[in-house]
Amino acid sequence: MILRTVNLTKQFGGLIAVDHVNIQVHEGTVHSIIGPNGAGKTTLFNILTGEIPPNDGEVYFQEKRITGLKPYQVAKIRIGRSFQQNSLFKNLSVFENIRLAAHVQHQGRFNFLSDFRSFHSPIDQAHKVLEEMEITSIAGKKVGELSHGAQRTLEVAIALAADPLLVLLDEPTSGMSPEEAIRMVRLIRKLAKQRTMIVIEHNMNLVWSISTVITVLHQGQVIATGSPSEIEKNPEVRKAYLGGAAV
Amino acid sequence: MIENALGKKRALIDKEIFILGGLLLLLPFLLPYKTLPAEIVIYALGAVSFNILLGYTGLLSFGQAAFFGAGAYLTGIFLIHFGWHPALTLVLSGVLGALFAAVIGFLSIRQVGIYFVMLTLAFNQLAFFLAYQWKSVTGGDDGLLNVPRPDFPLFPGLKIPIQGNLQFFLFVWVIFLVAFVIIRRIINSPFGRILLAIRENPNRARAVGYNIIHYELIAFTISGFFTGLAGGLYALFMKMVPINAIELLTSTDFIIMSLLGGTGSLYGPIIGAVVTKIASEILSVLWARWLFVLGVIFVGFVLFMRGGIWGLINASWSKFTTGRPEEGRNP
Repeated sequence: MILRTVNLTKQFGGLIAVDHVNIQVHEGTVHSIIGPNGAGKTTLFNILTGEIPPNDGEVYFQEKRITGLKPYQVAKIRIGRSFQQNSLFKNLSVFENIRLAAHVQHQGRFNFLSDFRSFHSPIDQAHKVLEEMEITSIAGKKVGELSHGAQRTLEVAIALAADPLLVLLDEPTSGMSPEEAIRMVRLIRKLAKQRTMIVIEHNMNLVWSISTVITVLHQGQVIATGSPSEIEKNPEVRKAYLGGAAV
Repeated sequence: MIENALGKKRALIDKEIFILGGLLLLLPFLLPYKTLPAEIVIYALGAVSFNILLGYTGLLSFGQAAFFGAGAYLTGIFLIHFGWHPALTLVLSGVLGALFAAVIGFLSIRQVGIYFVMLTLAFNQLAFFLAYQWKSVTGGDDGLLNVPRPDFPLFPGLKIPIQGNLQFFLFVWVIFLVAFVIIRRIINSPFGRILLAIRENPNRARAVGYNIIHYELIAFTISGFFTGLAGGLYALFMKMVPINAIELLTSTDFIIMSLLGGTGSLYGPIIGAVVTKIASEILSVLWARWLFVLGVIFVGFVLFMRGGIWGLINASWSKFTTGRPEEGRNP
């Protein structure tokens, strides 16, 4: 097991955004988290990555307790994440966005007196990620010049840059045109073959095609966890989330 | 495409440094004011050091005069009382500036936005009142008088005279260029690039694994070192340390120079220092309320030309060469 949570709980005033959540993510699997807006999916991600502290419960990564670590510490133990709203280095090039994220795992972060271009390993790593995400052709462009779809792709690329052991993607296809979304679905399918991922997504086409396990959140609680076919048949899921309709 | 994205590796000293050095060297020959060129270069060093924070880390520090003043007092006091080698006092000025910056930075950086700005401002005021009250050491309101400007012993037996205006300018010019080369290298180092990431998006920088408080604190300390060095030079330049070296207005001088010249590059603040210093020299003769004019120009730039003078030059240059305007900001 690469990651598990025990009774994770987060309260905002009177609202319990995440309510005693227990999830287990196994190595090499793609674990999707679905649920209606406000179900607590992003809050759960924010707790896992240290953006906000939980009120109660624990997070274990490779059986080590990581509850309460700061975001930069979570990144250092090689958990990468993308954000629901693009969070990029705006005035820098696509390449530099990725290279900077990759440099975290390499030597020379506190080197003041050498040119940054003499550190090859983050540069090589950035090349690899550019290829994997199929954005080598826009490497020299500044973020501001990119289409929304390309920015979304970069958002995911940054999450992959430091070669993480676990990748958390928060709605990678959100706001995309249908064509862009098709491309993203294809990319994520490709990534899913080689990586352990937790994915929040509304695009059911994507969820059903990549997931090993699906967890359904509703009002902060896990109402079901299982394989896609189990989730599909689960009557409670249909009632809460799918409105009773067939998927 | 990727080569474009990364640019070429930069030599420590290249064409740009020669052009910069050459242009600055023209100042004493173009300006009718004898002491102004050295003053410009000293302020340029302060402004470039400030811009490490505003332009390259995204931190607006109102505390620069504390570092500048501390450096000025240190060199002044050590030259008056102990007659130390000026090279040593200048380095110590930098060290004291760095120390002040480390402490003020440590206490301010945890706060963000306006709270951070107000804290740096408050600490500057604190430093000012300390200097103001501690008359026996700093001379208080009257300033620290009679700072000597001895010949500069380069090797045993070889003393470089720095008494004359041109001699002193050349002395400052050399130190400035050395400092500039180092600052430019820091900006282009892996560390400097991480500062850019923090400027662009501190939250994402943190999320990808950088402890941004550490990096900001180091940036602060570096800025404090070079500002303190500029302060030490200022004591030698004035042959005294006026109380306004540590006053808040000096902090705002550096801010205005940087914004006017353009925070997007290392050259902007230098241009800002040249323009503001010359403008104030000319305007102060013409009209007693000359600061008003400078204020209007400044507001104009902040409102309509965010890239500053350097951004303007850059944009016109790329329009001229490629036919399309480009963003003024450096990568």
